[in-house]
Amino acid sequence: MNNTVLELENISYKYKNDLILNKINLKINSGEKIALLGKSGSGKTTLISVLNGTIKPTQGEVKLFNESFKELDRRQKSKITTIWQDLRLIEDLSAEQNVNCGLLAENNFYFAFKNLLNISSFKKAHKYMKLCRLHNSIYDKKIRKLSGGQKQRVAIARSLIQESNILLADEPFNNLDPKLITTIKNLLLENVDKNNTKKSPKTALVALHRLDLLNDFDKVIGIRDGKIFFNIKRNNLKKIHLEKIY
Amino acid sequence: MNKLKLNYTSLSFLPILVCIPLGYQLINNIHFGGFKLFQEFLISAFNPKIDNEIIITVIKRLNETILIGFFSWLVSIIFGAIFGIISSNIFYKIFNIPNFFYRIIRFFLTIIRSIHEVVWGIILMQIYGINFSIGIIAICIPYIAVNSKVFAEQLETIDYKSFESINQINAPKFSSLLTLIWNPIIKTFKNFGLYRLECSIRSTVILGLFGIGGIGSSIFLSFQTLNFRELWTYLWSLAILIILPGLILKKIKFNTTNKILSIFFIAVFFITILFSFSYFLYFIFNNNFENFNSVSSLFKSSSDLGLFDFLKLILETIILSLLSTGIAISLPPLVIGIFNNNSSKIFIKIFAFLLRLIPTPVILLTLLTFNNPSLSLAALTLGLHNAGITSKLLFTNIDSQDKRNYIAMKSLGISKKTSWLLGLFSQQAKSYLAYCAYRSDIIIRETAIVGIIGSIGLGWQLRESLSSFAWQEVTIVLIAYSSIAIVGELINGKIKNSLT
Repeated sequence: MNNTVLELENISYKYKNDLILNKINLKINSGEKIALLGKSGSGKTTLISVLNGTIKPTQGEVKLFNESFKELDRRQKSKITTIWQDLRLIEDLSAEQNVNCGLLAENNFYFAFKNLLNISSFKKAHKYMKLCRLHNSIYDKKIRKLSGGQKQRVAIARSLIQESNILLADEPFNNLDPKLITTIKNLLLENVDKNNTKKSPKTALVALHRLDLLNDFDKVIGIRDGKIFFNIKRNNLKKIHLEKIY
Repeated sequence: MNKLKLNYTSLSFLPILVCIPLGYQLINNIHFGGFKLFQEFLISAFNPKIDNEIIITVIKRLNETILIGFFSWLVSIIFGAIFGIISSNIFYKIFNIPNFFYRIIRFFLTIIRSIHEVVWGIILMQIYGINFSIGIIAICIPYIAVNSKVFAEQLETIDYKSFESINQINAPKFSSLLTLIWNPIIKTFKNFGLYRLECSIRSTVILGLFGIGGIGSSIFLSFQTLNFRELWTYLWSLAILIILPGLILKKIKFNTTNKILSIFFIAVFFITILFSFSYFLYFIFNNNFENFNSVSSLFKSSSDLGLFDFLKLILETIILSLLSTGIAISLPPLVIGIFNNNSSKIFIKIFAFLLRLIPTPVILLTLLTFNNPSLSLAALTLGLHNAGITSKLLFTNIDSQDKRNYIAMKSLGISKKTSWLLGLFSQQAKSYLAYCAYRSDIIIRETAIVGIIGSIGLGWQLRESLSSFAWQEVTIVLIAYSSIAIVGELINGKIKNSLT
């Protein structure tokens, strides 16, 4: 059975005269927990942006559940959620309002309106904020008043509340202390382990810098100069692989 | 020899050089016949007329002014926000609309705001006759366009990455738009709302001078009859009207998370839109175009305006704008810098307030009591009025500035004036110049008012052409006005961008 959830076919992306991604072919299957490795500027963020549809590739095709990304409607596209490296939270909104923004796709305009007026329900938002170890004293605080680690966890909670099938995360453990890194990593990957079903397949692709965090992943992809150098099972990862990309 | 190097501080003082040709012409045009009148005008400020009759008139006239000012403010700020949204980049990004439409809407709004509300008022009066609604419509037309620019500029500050993030959530387009623009719009209402209300009231007063009604009409009548005591009663009551809302609003703290208040504002928003549309339709269907026979008259009516005369008028308008801008930029830092002590500061603040308070036509008419009409006199009037506004900004910024540099310089034995210049003003010069670039846009538009009163430039020609219903000439003058204002706005926009 074909259980591919996301597929890149011969993807290239050019920005001005620079070739950022070069003929990338990649298949992501349901239930997979993938770590994306590569040094800064290797194309990790661009690859994630192509995967979630923010960047249109110069060449090639992205397929979500075997359908071309271009032909999908808004609801189908919302099956992907992203934790951005630079978080991309709305600074003037409170932490709980930002987390509730994750629910905009499944709700109507009235919900967005109520969220801004602070009269919508924050029950679900609070549940995920609690899971991300955010203290309830910061729920109604504006983003600009939070610390780096708190902002990071708000961005993670916003992503988790979407309960999407595919989680893309670009260095989500930045700004977190070691204890929180383990908690958050477990939270992101447990979702794949516990909730992956045939009807609702789950998968996670996480861009990382720290090699000590690779243990819980089952696949590792190495990228350098916009090209995939290896796409292997974590158990097969050797020093020689890492030397190729770093 | 070292090369002369200009910095922001020196650039703030350089325009004062306009005072050389200006002063020369003003001295040549001086006449002593009206000094007694001028003296009487000044003395009357301390002895305004107060009796039952005038108090009743003041209340009646202020009511009219408040009504016109408030409604034009409410309608223009709400529609300004709507046009601000549809002329901002973010709207086109979210809805994937080609940028071509964005440019068309922006250009259209630039043309609308390039024509001063007084000009709109006079044109509408010629078409519909004197009418209470004319005041509101005349203010609303350019103000919607001005406010839309303010809102659009705020919306341009939305982080592109926030947009990408919301877009990636794949929310409905209107939900994404609302979530992104909500706070910048609320912030603009909070920061500019009161200032725009003050502007609406000032514009109502100026339109009153041209016959629309309200306290402006009373000011003009009392000036014409040289009843200065009565004039000052109106001016002081106008001062109270302008100061009062600021004092009241300072006491009230608006909380955007207050549910009842938010629902109230939303209700006001929608009621205003509904009311405006229905009133607009009522206005259109209940007025006949008495004097404006048909659009075809634009092409039938002949124009006596020679090309040379017309070019001369354009040149006069440009020179008037430049001279006034020079005064408005350089006079405040120069005066504040020279008279840099506490008692002088109070005096300068009061004087600047009076310059802002007294409508430009009244300043011009007062100065005409001892000076012949000239381009320099018109420029001085416009320059002084705007210097009153720029000095308020300069005072506010310098008063709230960190004074450690200034204190450190003074402790080194450097003179008070030099310490002020280098320790305080030099840090403000860049932002001050950026604001002055914006102010000069307004000065270009205001040349119409002093032009009409002071027989200068295109403003005067516009009044002449309107009086004789020469619609072709009116159109030509308006196109010329718009072109000058649009070119000015483009140049000032470039200057402002390089400064911010």
